[in-house]
Amino acid sequence: MPRVLLVEDEEHLAAGIRFNLELDGYEVETIADGLRAVERLAPPPDGAAPEASPAIDLVVLDVMLPGLDGFQIVERMRQAGNYTAVMMLTAKGLPEDVVEGLEAGADDYLPKPFDLPVLLARVKGLIRRREWARGTAGDTAKVGPAVVDFANFELRKGDALVRLTLLEAMLLKLLVERRGQVVTKAEILEKVWNLNPDTETRAVDNFVMRLRRHLEEDARTPRLLQTVRGVGYRLSDD
Amino acid sequence: MSQDSQLSRSRRPKWHYLAVGVGLIVVAVALTVAWGILAAPESAGPRAVAPARVLAYFFGSLLFLLLIAGLVLIVLLLLREVRLNERQSNFVSAVTHELKTPVASLKLYLETLEYRDVPPERRAEFYRTMRQDIERLNATINNVLNAAMYTDRPVADPRPLDLARLARRAAELTLTRHQLAKTAIRYQGPDSLRVAGDAQALETAVLNLLDNAVKYSRDTLLIELEVWGDADGQAHVRVRDHGIGMSRSHLPFIFTRFYRIGAEVRRSRTGTGLGLFIVRAVVKGHRGSITVDSPGPDRGSSFTITLPGLLEPEPESDGAPEAARA
Repeated sequence: MPRVLLVEDEEHLAAGIRFNLELDGYEVETIADGLRAVERLAPPPDGAAPEASPAIDLVVLDVMLPGLDGFQIVERMRQAGNYTAVMMLTAKGLPEDVVEGLEAGADDYLPKPFDLPVLLARVKGLIRRREWARGTAGDTAKVGPAVVDFANFELRKGDALVRLTLLEAMLLKLLVERRGQVVTKAEILEKVWNLNPDTETRAVDNFVMRLRRHLEEDARTPRLLQTVRGVGYRLSDD
Repeated sequence: MSQDSQLSRSRRPKWHYLAVGVGLIVVAVALTVAWGILAAPESAGPRAVAPARVLAYFFGSLLFLLLIAGLVLIVLLLLREVRLNERQSNFVSAVTHELKTPVASLKLYLETLEYRDVPPERRAEFYRTMRQDIERLNATINNVLNAAMYTDRPVADPRPLDLARLARRAAELTLTRHQLAKTAIRYQGPDSLRVAGDAQALETAVLNLLDNAVKYSRDTLLIELEVWGDADGQAHVRVRDHGIGMSRSHLPFIFTRFYRIGAEVRRSRTGTGLGLFIVRAVVKGHRGSITVDSPGPDRGSSFTITLPGLLEPEPESDGAPEAARA
């Protein structure tokens, strides 16, 4: 049974979301405080054995939290090497906030007030997407100088190891699957971000820039991950 | 530092302007000193100094000082502006949160009831939750409206009212609103204490203080509500809690509009930063004063409203039997 960690300090929302997730067959754990969430998600290396607590498949994370805000929690998680999928929930629904959340390393973002069916679909989607991006064991691809391991969300370039977030892995996987072809921005938004293709956001561009930093010799003159002006992106053949 | 959350990143450029201002002041001071040394009448002999030169030196120094004073003023104004801006953006953040959270909750429960088969006992619980959300929404709306309505201007039409009874009613309302035990608020004071003022405004003020006391209490929820009149013809209302208190450095600012302790993204208590601002506006409108004291974090705080215009007790008014004992 997939396990969801719900980090939400508003009691009513936490109880309501929990009720619905449990009906959909998830195991739900709730935390109402930012610092405790970090303890659970990014424990210090010398801390108590994390084995004691069961593995989490998805984190539903509020932004405004006592102790530590949601953006910082995701950042700390990623720094600590925890790449569990994160969906952020917040009352701040401005486009900058969405990008900010995604930049911090979240995998999905839902503004409050949300539609219940949308929330449930996104939760299901994120858990399923993870399976898709993970592919079959040993699913790797060579991209320029790097080797991407989709099973472990890792990118290896020489001795350097880069951990990818779910979204980065999915974006890369989409480009690898269509190597040599142009993938439109709309398609990326729809398939990777689960957003309406018309959404005005620089999120895709920001993610491409991040991937370039990992893949290219010189991120400013990309040779592998090319921009096709006004259309989208293409991963070159060689 | 990680203390500066992501959200404040956009505000940082304003601090650069401040740095420019401070830099300019330093340059101006340095120039003044250098000029003073260079242009100072030579110390060779007092005889050699022409009066015109002394005059020029005097006015030059004065102009330089004026320049520096102007720069300091501008930097101070800028600093104030930056602070206000920050508070305003915090306020927008807080109000957005305060309005959207109950709406999100209401929507969630409504849709749950609509799409799911909810057992009757959970259903009753959901309705209770939804009612509380509506209360919260209503309280936020009232707060925003009150902040616009109550200004420091004197109350237009002060009428005699019973402050003691008003305080007790506010206490009862607070108990019901927060579903607290009767013992949570302890009232101390006369049965009746008459002052002139705007009853609704004063009730809002006392309610806000009590609300804060509940909000900022921890496990021990005990609030002392005292009302008394003194020989100088002043009436006092004191609300004291045993909650989280605050450090002294915050005390001067808490009555400022939009002021909230801590960054909004790490908010630990609900609120918009308007409650105490409203209290102060109401009290000032009555030509009274409000004081706050907190021995420090985790040691509670106490707020005291002082109102002038204590009226003679009028036992026959309001037909309140309790007035007789006062």
